[in-house]
Amino acid sequence: MKFEEQIAEHERRKKEAMRMGGEKKLSKLREQGILNARERMDYLFNDGTFVESGLFATSFRPEKKDQTPADGKVTGFGKINGRDVCAIVNDFTVMGSSSSRTNSKKMAHMKSVAKKRGIPVVFLGESTGARMPDVMGADSMGGSSNPTQYQRMRENPWVSAVLGNCFGSSAWYASMSDFNVMKKGSIMAVSSPRLTSLATREQVDPEVLGGWKMHSETTGFADMVVETDEEAIDAIKTFLSYLPSNHNEAPPIAPVPKGSDEAIKNILELIPESNKSVYDVRKVIKAIVDKDSYFELKPKFGKTVVTSLARLNGKTVGVVANNPLMKGGALDADACDKVVSFLVLCDSYNIPLVFMVDQPGFLIGIEAEKKRMPGKVMNWMNALSLCTVPKISVILRKSYGQAFLNMGGGGNADETVAWWTADVSFMDPGSAVSIVYGVNEKDDPERFQELLTEMKKDTSAYDMAAVYGTQSVIDPRETRDYLIDMLDIHQMRLTNGIGQHLMRAWPTSY
Amino acid sequence: MALTEVTVEITGSIWKIEVSEGVQVEEDDTLIIMESMKMEIPLLSPVSGTVKELKVKEGDSVSEGEVAVIIEG
Repeated sequence: MKFEEQIAEHERRKKEAMRMGGEKKLSKLREQGILNARERMDYLFNDGTFVESGLFATSFRPEKKDQTPADGKVTGFGKINGRDVCAIVNDFTVMGSSSSRTNSKKMAHMKSVAKKRGIPVVFLGESTGARMPDVMGADSMGGSSNPTQYQRMRENPWVSAVLGNCFGSSAWYASMSDFNVMKKGSIMAVSSPRLTSLATREQVDPEVLGGWKMHSETTGFADMVVETDEEAIDAIKTFLSYLPSNHNEAPPIAPVPKGSDEAIKNILELIPESNKSVYDVRKVIKAIVDKDSYFELKPKFGKTVVTSLARLNGKTVGVVANNPLMKGGALDADACDKVVSFLVLCDSYNIPLVFMVDQPGFLIGIEAEKKRMPGKVMNWMNALSLCTVPKISVILRKSYGQAFLNMGGGGNADETVAWWTADVSFMDPGSAVSIVYGVNEKDDPERFQELLTEMKKDTSAYDMAAVYGTQSVIDPRETRDYLIDMLDIHQMRLTNGIGQHLMRAWPTSY
Repeated sequence: MALTEVTVEITGSIWKIEVSEGVQVEEDDTLIIMESMKMEIPLLSPVSGTVKELKVKEGDSVSEGEVAVIIEG
């Protein structure tokens, strides 16, 4: 065949492969303002950087070859902010982007290259699950197996967006990712509402089965919720900007925005003088970190604690902060799970941790115990002790009980510093009198006062500093400078900024 | 118009009610201030809308999960 003919044939095949599920389906997406798979890929990568892998792949079944351009999953490499990234984008218009023999090979190759060469993987999810009838029958079940398909050792970041119906593999990858953003109206579940209804013989509301409210508030699988495809992809790019490309690199350093040391000057306005009053710790964090660098994860899940990526002097930090605004900052089971998953994230990618402490203790009660609190509290302590990235703990106001240790007190952080507002003890002295002596203030005020005096020991920042239980006492307005200095001192110089990643194989979802 | 039941997030007592039936509220406005664990903890509105019904009064003891306010909006 002449070259000219071969060129023409090549172009014809390329065009054929690029048509996705056909104009009818694509125009429907356009009408709804939804990006198709290739538009999503274009939006993800810097212009002209996408190199496709598997454009000519199709279903292995001869009668389906013409209907399966790229076999329903568009894969390849490209650059985000100049850095190499690998992407798997589901094309729902091609057989619901169901997982098949060929496209599973594509996915496996992407994941393998990304792992071996140390670059992140992005999953833009929207799929119906396994392809039928391909997977039906014992020969299919027996014939396909990849024992490491769902293995995670966190060598490289996995980042996911749920952009439509996500059942089967797209739900699996979303739940295994280091960051998962969900577009409103999308569903993430093991199986489709239709299959679930058939199995359980009851009508299932898709939103209740796996909508954004459920995953942002109840399961915590959604780290962030957005309205559009573009916002979801923007969130992925922002998340990746805080992370190294792999676990053997330190996180990238960003320029420090002008005016980053302005907000800290007014920090006292954010904290009430009365220790009975509460405040929103998110505002306090924003006043300390680099301007516009606050990137909160799971804001509606386990709300009594805030977990946020941010930057201090251009360097990525992970902030764990109690939020007194929510339940007074009392740590519940969801809060514990949220913190542990965040510690695993930060430690796996060499991100130093900053704890901001103002908490009355762990939430107690029958409901809390049913949620396995002792295990949650200790899982957190174990995680904290396994973290090898620098940990700096700042005691803002109260810090009581076991949670004092969980938040880095008692030597569980590399440095502890207290504001002069700090109040540290095992528990509230009034409660202690009632517990130890069984005396209530209402029943016997005189005896109660007497015992209270005995129970009430000094709880101030200076008392803690006197036994060197905290390395320093500072004015809240000094916090930003103090943290920048301490994070500088505690750089992991001996290992070029790389931690030991002792939790790299910890469960990916709690 | 959808009704949103605002539930109490922590066991304690109702210290102050900041809104009355019929008033407009924005998302994150304080509806009620509770007293729990020796702190004054606000109950924030999860949505914008009108206060349709107050299910509690000042001084009431409430448990986690109890409906305190119904918002229409």
